[in-house]
Amino acid sequence: MKRNVFIIGVMVLICSFSFIFITGCAKTPETQMMKDTAATQADTEKAAAAEAAAMAAEKAVLEEQMLQEKLLAEADSFKDIKFAFDKYDLSAEARGVLSKLADWLNSHQDFEVTIEGHCDERGTTEYNLALGERRAEAAKAYLTNLGIDKMKITTISYGEELPMDPGSTEAAWAKNRRDHLVVFSKK
Amino acid sequence: MRAFKGLLVVFFTLVLCLPAWGKVYIDIDSPAFQKFPTAIPDLRNMGTRQDKEDLSRWFSEQLSSALDITGYFRMIEKGAFLEDPKSSGITAEATNFSDWSVVGADFLVKGGFLYDGKNLSVEFRLFDVVEGKLITGKKYWGSIKEKKVMMLRFVGEILHALTGERGVFDTKIAFVGKKGNESEIYTVNFDGTDLQKITNFKSLSLLPHWSPEANRISLTSYLRDNPDYYIVDLRNGKVKKMSEHVGLNLSGPWSADGEKALLVLSKDGNEEIYTIDIKEGTLERITHNSSIDVSPSWSPDGESIAFVSNRSGSPQVFIMDAHGKNVRRLTFEGSYNTSPAWSPKGKKIVYEGSSNGGFQLFTIDEDGNNSVQVTFERGGAEDPSWSPDGRYLVFSSKIGQKRRICIVNSNGLNLRVLDEIKGIQSLESPSWSPHLNLY
Repeated sequence: MKRNVFIIGVMVLICSFSFIFITGCAKTPETQMMKDTAATQADTEKAAAAEAAAMAAEKAVLEEQMLQEKLLAEADSFKDIKFAFDKYDLSAEARGVLSKLADWLNSHQDFEVTIEGHCDERGTTEYNLALGERRAEAAKAYLTNLGIDKMKITTISYGEELPMDPGSTEAAWAKNRRDHLVVFSKK
Repeated sequence: MRAFKGLLVVFFTLVLCLPAWGKVYIDIDSPAFQKFPTAIPDLRNMGTRQDKEDLSRWFSEQLSSALDITGYFRMIEKGAFLEDPKSSGITAEATNFSDWSVVGADFLVKGGFLYDGKNLSVEFRLFDVVEGKLITGKKYWGSIKEKKVMMLRFVGEILHALTGERGVFDTKIAFVGKKGNESEIYTVNFDGTDLQKITNFKSLSLLPHWSPEANRISLTSYLRDNPDYYIVDLRNGKVKKMSEHVGLNLSGPWSADGEKALLVLSKDGNEEIYTIDIKEGTLERITHNSSIDVSPSWSPDGESIAFVSNRSGSPQVFIMDAHGKNVRRLTFEGSYNTSPAWSPKGKKIVYEGSSNGGFQLFTIDEDGNNSVQVTFERGGAEDPSWSPDGRYLVFSSKIGQKRRICIVNSNGLNLRVLDEIKGIQSLESPSWSPHLNLY
C-alpha cells in the first residue's frame, strides 16, 4: 500500500515539474516576441493554443492520478482479515470484508489484489510459511468463488517473518495472524 | 586451513593403555553425568628465551576455556593449586599426584613449549590423577600462528580419550540474523568465534542448510519477491537459483552424499515434500496429501524421513520411507509438535513441542518410545539442530525481547548463549555444519 502511495507521489511530482517546464518553454517565445517586432500575431496564437492543449492534457493526467489515489484510498479501507491460532478458515467477519472487496474489484476492473498470508511467532518458520500460504489461498478461493478472475489475485506467504506487532502477547499475536490485502492498479 | 596439514605431530605416549582405562565408558550424555574435575597449570617455558608473549598462560587459559565449552569438564581454580612449579615437571615421574587429588582434580593437563621467536613446539600431556598415570600426550611443531590449532588438536585428543569422540571444535553454525523486514544468513564457529555474513541480499533469507562437505549452504530467499530456493557456494560466494516455482520453495537438509536435498514446494496446490537432484535440478515428489507437509529430516542412513503434517488436525511429527511409503505418526502428546531433526547417531529424533503456552525441545525414539523433555527455557526453545557427533543441540530462544542462538549438551545441561550481533535484532533457525576437519 505504502509503495503505491509513494509511486503516486512521484508521479504527481513529475507532473508538476513537467508543467513548470512546459509553461517555462511557452514563456520564452513570448519574451522574444517583445524584442522581435517581426513576429506575427499568428505565431503568438499558435503558441497560446499549444500551451492551452498541454495544460489540458496535464490536467487530465492529474485528475486521473487523483482518481486513482481516491480509489486506492477506498481500497485501503478493506482491512486485514484475522485468523485464529493454527487456523486458516475464514471467519464471518473475514468473509464480509472479502465480499466487499469482491464487489469493489468487480466495479473497478483496472485493479488487482495481492494477498499476503501472515502468522504469529509461535511455531516454526516452515510450518508458519505453509500456514500463511493456506491463509492467503483461503482468501483467494473465496474471492474467485465470488467471480473475481484468479489471474487478478496474487498470493504470497511471509509466515511469521513480518509481524505487524513484534510483541509476544495475545494481543500482538492476534494482530499478526492475518491476510494483508494489497489492492493496486494494473495501469 | 590447508597450511595446518604441515603441522608436525608426534604421538609419544602409550595409546595401548587406553582400553584398560574404564572411564571411557561413562555415559556422558546421561543427565546424571558428573563433569570431569580437571586442573590445567600454566605451561612450562622449556627454552631460554623469555616468555614475552605469555604463552605459558595463553595455552593454559585457552585449554581451560575450550574444555569448559564442551560441558564435560569442571575446571579447578588455579588459585587452589598446591604443586610447586619449580620442583615439578611435565612427566608423570615429576608430578606429585597427591597435590592434585587434594585440590579435587581427577584429571591434570600439563605441557611445555619451546619458542624461538618464529617457530613453536608444544607438548601436552593428559594425566589420570587418581591412577597417577599418563593417559595421552602429543607434541606439535609449527609456526607461532598455528598455536590455536595446536591447542584445539590436543583438546580433540583429550575429548577422544575421555568421551570417545573428538569434539566439534571444527564445526560451524549457520543461522538467520533478522533486522526489521530483512534477514541475512550468518555462520559462526562452535566456540563462538569467527562470525561471518554469508548473504547480502537485503531481502528475507531463511532456512539455511549445509552441504555434507560444508562448502555450500542452501536457503530460501525472497530476493525476487517469492520464497525461492538458492544455493550459496562458500568458496567463491556464487549464488545459484535452484527452484523458483509459484508459491513456497523451502530449503531442507542435504543427503549424506550431497547429490540430493529435501525441499518443500507448493507448486501443485499445496505444500508437499520433494527431493531435488542438486546437479540436474530434477524433482521427485515424496508426499501426496492435501494437508500441510513440511520440515523433512532424513534418518542418518537415508532410508527414512521424519516430517511435519497437520493431516490429523494439528501439526504432528510423522515418519515415512525415503520414497513416501509407510507413513506413520510419531508424536501423540501435545497438540503442536514440529521441526523434527534426526540424531546423526540414529534412533533419536528431537522436535519442538508446545509446553505451558510456549515451545520446548523433546527427544523421542524413532519407534515412538521414551519421549523426554530436554529444555526448560523461560524464553522457549525452537528450531533444533544436532551437532554432527549427536552430543549437542543448537536452538533459538527468546531472551529479553530478542531471539538468540543457544547450545546445550544433548542431556539438556550446560546452556551456552552465543553473542548477539550488533544491530541485528533476532538470531534464529540455527543449522549445525558437518565436521570441517580443520584440526
